[in-house]
Amino acid sequence: METQLDLTKLSENDKKELNQVLNNEAQKGNIQQTVHHLNEVCWQKCITSKITSGTLDKSEEACAQNCVDRWMDTSLSILQKLENMRGH
Amino acid sequence: MSSLFGSSSSATPQTSEEIKAAVVRQLQTEAAMSNARSLIGKVNKHCFQACVPTPGTSLSAKENTCLSSCMEKYIAMWNVTSRTYITRVGTETKRLGGQDAAAIASMATGQPEGGSGILG
Repeated sequence: METQLDLTKLSENDKKELNQVLNNEAQKGNIQQTVHHLNEVCWQKCITSKITSGTLDKSEEACAQNCVDRWMDTSLSILQKLENMRGH
Repeated sequence: MSSLFGSSSSATPQTSEEIKAAVVRQLQTEAAMSNARSLIGKVNKHCFQACVPTPGTSLSAKENTCLSSCMEKYIAMWNVTSRTYITRVGTETKRLGGQDAAAIASMATGQPEGGSGILG
């Protein structure tokens, strides 16, 4: 971006390390994107009344937790069903 | 651009060590920016929907208060979602014998491909 980095000067060891960092960041980014998606879905399901405070009330928080877990149940279940279909 | 989010050092990295550090820094900056951009987009979308049902000639005081609360609430919920999801992914990964449950779940988001664009 701001400076031209000469990657050919990287040692083999640093290349390997960099690769590891890159993979970790990619995985982190992946998780964050899923959380963004999930939060959007669950916001629509759980925040249904007028917004009067900046905190979650007890029922909203419980709803958010259930929402995430049931979403995971759903996606795992669907993938399992697809996997079964493929086997026949 | 470089003054806003750029690296603090102005000298061009020369050694392998310096180049590595510069790449890591840039990578983390871009990842953080990407995450922030996603959050800003979602907050804007949902809080506009929740707080400005009928747009007038300007934002009313009530709408402004609502927007502040909404933003805080959205972020509070993001933290709950994140915590719950990461806990669940840990459980599932264990159950699946080490298979990355986060990678599996990300398939169900309908996003083109994970990685939030860092890998280009």
